[in-house]
Amino acid sequence: MALDSRRSGALVGVAAVAAVLLAWYLLTSVTGFIGPTRFPAPGEVGAALKQIAFDGYADGKLYQHVLQSCKLILMGFAAAVIVGVPLGLAMGFSRRIEAFVNPAFLLLRPIPPLAWIPLAIVWLGLGDAAKILVIWFAAFVPSVINSYTGVRSIDAHLLEAARTLGIQKRRLWLEVLVPGAAPHIFTGLRLSLQAAWTTLVAGELIGALQGLGQVLNVAAQDIYPAMILVGMIFVGLCGGGMTWVLGRIERYAMPWRRA
Amino acid sequence: MAPYPEQAELSGREFWTLSFLGLLMFFGAWSVLALSGLMPSMFLPTPWAVAERAVELTFHPFAGYTIQVHLISSIGRFLLGFGLAAAIGVPLGLAMGWFRWLDAAVTPLLEAVRFVAPIAWVPFAALWFGTGIGGPTLIIFTGAFPPALINAYRGARFVEPRLIEAARTLGAGNWRIIVEVLLPASVPSIVAGLRISAGLGWQSLIGAELIVASSGIGYLMVKGQSSISTTTVMSGMIAIGAVGFAIDVLLRRLQRRIEAASGIGE
Amino acid sequence: MSNIIFRQVSRQFEHGGKLFPALAEFDLEVRDREFVAIVGPSGCGKTTCLRLAAGLDFPSGGSVSVGGVEVRGPGPERAVVFQQFALFPWKTVADNIEFGLKSKGLSAAERQARIARQLELMGLAGYETAFPHQLSGGMQQRVAIARAYVLDPMVLLMDEPFGALDAQTRTLMQEELVRLSRVNPRTVLFITHAVEEAVYLADRVVVMTRRPGRIREIIDVRSVREAEGWDRVERIEEVMDQESFVHLRTGIWKLLREQQT
Repeated sequence: MALDSRRSGALVGVAAVAAVLLAWYLLTSVTGFIGPTRFPAPGEVGAALKQIAFDGYADGKLYQHVLQSCKLILMGFAAAVIVGVPLGLAMGFSRRIEAFVNPAFLLLRPIPPLAWIPLAIVWLGLGDAAKILVIWFAAFVPSVINSYTGVRSIDAHLLEAARTLGIQKRRLWLEVLVPGAAPHIFTGLRLSLQAAWTTLVAGELIGALQGLGQVLNVAAQDIYPAMILVGMIFVGLCGGGMTWVLGRIERYAMPWRRA
Repeated sequence: MAPYPEQAELSGREFWTLSFLGLLMFFGAWSVLALSGLMPSMFLPTPWAVAERAVELTFHPFAGYTIQVHLISSIGRFLLGFGLAAAIGVPLGLAMGWFRWLDAAVTPLLEAVRFVAPIAWVPFAALWFGTGIGGPTLIIFTGAFPPALINAYRGARFVEPRLIEAARTLGAGNWRIIVEVLLPASVPSIVAGLRISAGLGWQSLIGAELIVASSGIGYLMVKGQSSISTTTVMSGMIAIGAVGFAIDVLLRRLQRRIEAASGIGE
Repeated sequence: MSNIIFRQVSRQFEHGGKLFPALAEFDLEVRDREFVAIVGPSGCGKTTCLRLAAGLDFPSGGSVSVGGVEVRGPGPERAVVFQQFALFPWKTVADNIEFGLKSKGLSAAERQARIARQLELMGLAGYETAFPHQLSGGMQQRVAIARAYVLDPMVLLMDEPFGALDAQTRTLMQEELVRLSRVNPRTVLFITHAVEEAVYLADRVVVMTRRPGRIREIIDVRSVREAEGWDRVERIEEVMDQESFVHLRTGIWKLLREQQT
């Protein structure tokens, strides 16, 4: 019974996707209902993809843009996580640290990461550094918050057990607090990654020499919708790809979780 | 008693003293850095210079309007985009949660666009709407739509089966079940989703206004940046943060009231 | 010498500005290698007693000392077995058992030997690399007990350890605990709701009053057990059938019933 409904569900899904693709094709190439300056036809998208992959567009080939964007993401993300996760854990565990850091954090937290872009540009210009700074901030906040929640969510009995078993502080951190908070930490990492991508694309839209956002920007100026779509597709693919990798790391790092 | 002494709740006095010290350190470090001359005052104004500028912007227009008019413009766009996202996302999510075939049909399409950051829609928005209100609204919509949809979906899909079974055994038909069981049971989830939705929507708005607007807080900040008026930029940041915070507080209060009314919570 | 001495212990809790007494004038000595069970109505403070001995809480008045030393905080010489097992979900069975052992400065080989012995003793052989969520409740509690036992603690503090188990598993665990404590007796403070469990396991049973908890009566079970030869009887259900057992049990029930009104 269940298998049947799952298969029929999958069929419906496939049918829906096919229907949309068909509609896309009909509305653009065949009838011209949606003009080429509004939305590209499937064929145009293919052509744009070929162009950027092999000839290059916006001062670079596709792989160069992808590498540039991914490079900035990873740098900002890594730097944010290295600072944010320990800070969140510390704030969650020690009330004193929480009381001291919280006011500043509460002040900065409501400011959306994108709102830091103009300031970053004033400070660091239109280059990579400004983008990394903003990515850092975007990824920093969710890391802290989720690590904090993670520590707080550890069952008090586990901490009592750890204490009655007489372990030293260092072991407490490595063997109890971090693994205990791990599920939340990974949620935070996922959110940080998402925020990082949004911020990067925005930053590159505003000004960059290379990168997927830059591709989108130039394509918009050239009124080249097909290339815009290619850019968007690759933003999605890269973001999704990194999220997938993170998921694998999560699965590997937490073997004790039931599937 | 807390397992470890570090976790013990602080006395009121200790809490406020530490909080105050933390705040002091923050503003202190800022001021010291600004005054030290390490960075040109253009780049890092003192906190009071920013405050001064913020106040000034309320009566002295910049980039076309005073700061409050820009804010109203932004909030207006936000409400439009958020309203649309909620109006479409919530019913659609509920329907998807209830009708499996709809879920099966729509989910693959949504999964395909899931990883495209809302901000990536800006070029199309610019192409289709220019700098009119449609552009930012579209971006806000793309940001606010997923959480509204997903949480409504979850609310409907994961209603306790026992409740539905009980309703059926008591003789209620499909329509009654949807209206009297599914809907009320989904409300907490819907409201939680709208809170997240509002937050993301407001963030996306800023992104949109940085690029495709001719008014609004984001626009104010971009103009401030190009004139290297850091105080203006920071004033904008404060305004954005304040409004975002206010929206969240309001929705949180609404959430609590709804939860109390529907018997959820402690 | 590892005895637990509660001297004029009182404990009050503050809640919403008011003081709630949990324990009052609590005097008890758990002698060296004696198994004492505490029973009493809900909220009578029996868990508080255990937490005071464990060092997870401190008395408002009076003192608690173990082995002649006043209790200042938790530690492995007063191992605790919790009702909810409190196993680290991210560690395997073997790693959980090893947890407290690693801070004792033993060589890796010695640790492994001790762990192996515990696994054997608690019937956990073969489950070394399993994670807690893969085990049944009874197995998890065995791991929790093994984790405490492996430290060779002076004192064992057990807080309704079988409360979360189903009736059959509970009975099996009780039989095992009796077997362990006859073979390797140590000082045990055991908290429970179940009168039968207390009479079956303990040397003495302490009956407490309602809040604020005081000692109502202490019943010497051991003398009856030895006189009637319960240990010669194999099965727990047969022990519980003995007239002497029933007599003790009913007596304690009556004492508890008095507390209801």
